[in-house]
Amino acid sequence: MSGTHRIGRLLALVVGFVAGLAVCVIVAVWALARPGADPVTTAAYTFVDRASEYWDSVFPDKDDAAPDWNALAFEVAGGDPETGARLIAEYGCGACHTIPGIARARGRVGPNLTGFRDQAYIAGVLPNRPGDLVDWLQSPPRHAPETVMPDMGISEAEADDMAAYLYTLEGR
Amino acid sequence: MESTLGTFGSQDTSSIAGQAAGETLWLTIGMSVAGALIFALVMVFVALAWRGRGGARTWWIVGGGVVFPVVVIGALFVVSTFVLKSVAGPRAAPHVIEVTGKQFWWNVIHDPDGRAIRDANEVVLPLGEPVEIRLKSSDVIHSFWIPSIAGKMDMIPGRVNTLTVTATREGRFRGQCAEFCGLAHPLMAFEAVVIPPDEYAAFLADLDGEARDAVTPQERRGAEVFQSSGCIACHRVAGISDTRIGPDLTRVGQRAALGAGMWDMNTGNLAGWIADVSEMKPGAEMPSYNQLSGPDLRALVAWLESLT
Repeated sequence: MSGTHRIGRLLALVVGFVAGLAVCVIVAVWALARPGADPVTTAAYTFVDRASEYWDSVFPDKDDAAPDWNALAFEVAGGDPETGARLIAEYGCGACHTIPGIARARGRVGPNLTGFRDQAYIAGVLPNRPGDLVDWLQSPPRHAPETVMPDMGISEAEADDMAAYLYTLEGR
Repeated sequence: MESTLGTFGSQDTSSIAGQAAGETLWLTIGMSVAGALIFALVMVFVALAWRGRGGARTWWIVGGGVVFPVVVIGALFVVSTFVLKSVAGPRAAPHVIEVTGKQFWWNVIHDPDGRAIRDANEVVLPLGEPVEIRLKSSDVIHSFWIPSIAGKMDMIPGRVNTLTVTATREGRFRGQCAEFCGLAHPLMAFEAVVIPPDEYAAFLADLDGEARDAVTPQERRGAEVFQSSGCIACHRVAGISDTRIGPDLTRVGQRAALGAGMWDMNTGNLAGWIADVSEMKPGAEMPSYNQLSGPDLRALVAWLESLT
């Protein structure tokens, strides 16, 4: 009688342990596979966002701060940094340049683009500002005939996105 | 990775595109199920023993120590004999492709007994027709493996191993060297491209001849740079050079990958490759060509890309 009870309890313990382990593994795999979908972090971010919105609505800024002209100067109209990062990987920019945030971009042929936003000139020939960077990306040899950087057939829309990504690289 | 032959494939043993790979997948599933059943059975025996209802001692010794191994090993012997016979037996395949493993790339010769059409780093296969792949090595032991199409087979210096494969689905499938062969072993990949038999015949006819002519002034300059800068000392481009130390470049612009399946074939990667090979593929024998002037290097890239 007591033997059956003991086996029953032992079985429940083992089954419970295995089930618990399986749940942990499934949750961990799911969270690792889709980092954006991790329920705890997402909930935490949503909570912080809501709280700060509420705070702003209760205590609105009295004096409107002046626009950040420095940030606006590097804004690329119509450029999406995320698309830009994908395009930079696809066009093989990393073969020649080291670019933070781009997989396998460890090239040493051309300049390291870490902190590119803070660089004054593009390839020493064009001022580093959105319009000129978009022009440069579309055809480097047109601006610097002796450059080794090839014309990769990048369209203007693609160059907008790539420039937007490059201007997220700060801190040189 | 786009090329005129399609887009770059993936390396996946569960995405089946060949006869042998399908058999392997079902074998794996069958063995997993059998293993699970054996595990469950053992657990039942443990539970019975716990409650003091296990069988007699002699039954265990005779059953588990003699009968079980004899039955299992006997069955495996019969099955493996048939498998080995089908793998090793002579089978007259309508197509023959010779693949030689090199540190760290693949030399490919279509129809080696006849037209001997040279290629590299991409194995084009006709759909649904058996192909005898002759595997060789010119330096160390490599292993030829296209997970979606067939099992792996070693490439041993001084020996010719044959692997007969039949592709069952069109597409591009990644292959990988599966035997540690040196510093750049993980960077030694390739692609298998499966196309319909009539397209395969057309592909061979197109490849069997001289490389495409340079058209634009930039491409012509690129061809000059290729010949004057020493590239011809190692690379073959049909109609221009006939050295066979490095990969054949007769149709380099048509391949989807660069550096033996490692990088997308595009202008940026090709330029970076020529200027600094040792960064993109440590261990490759090709030297970096950073002594070329900017316009010359761009011309060389443009010409190589035009070789399709």
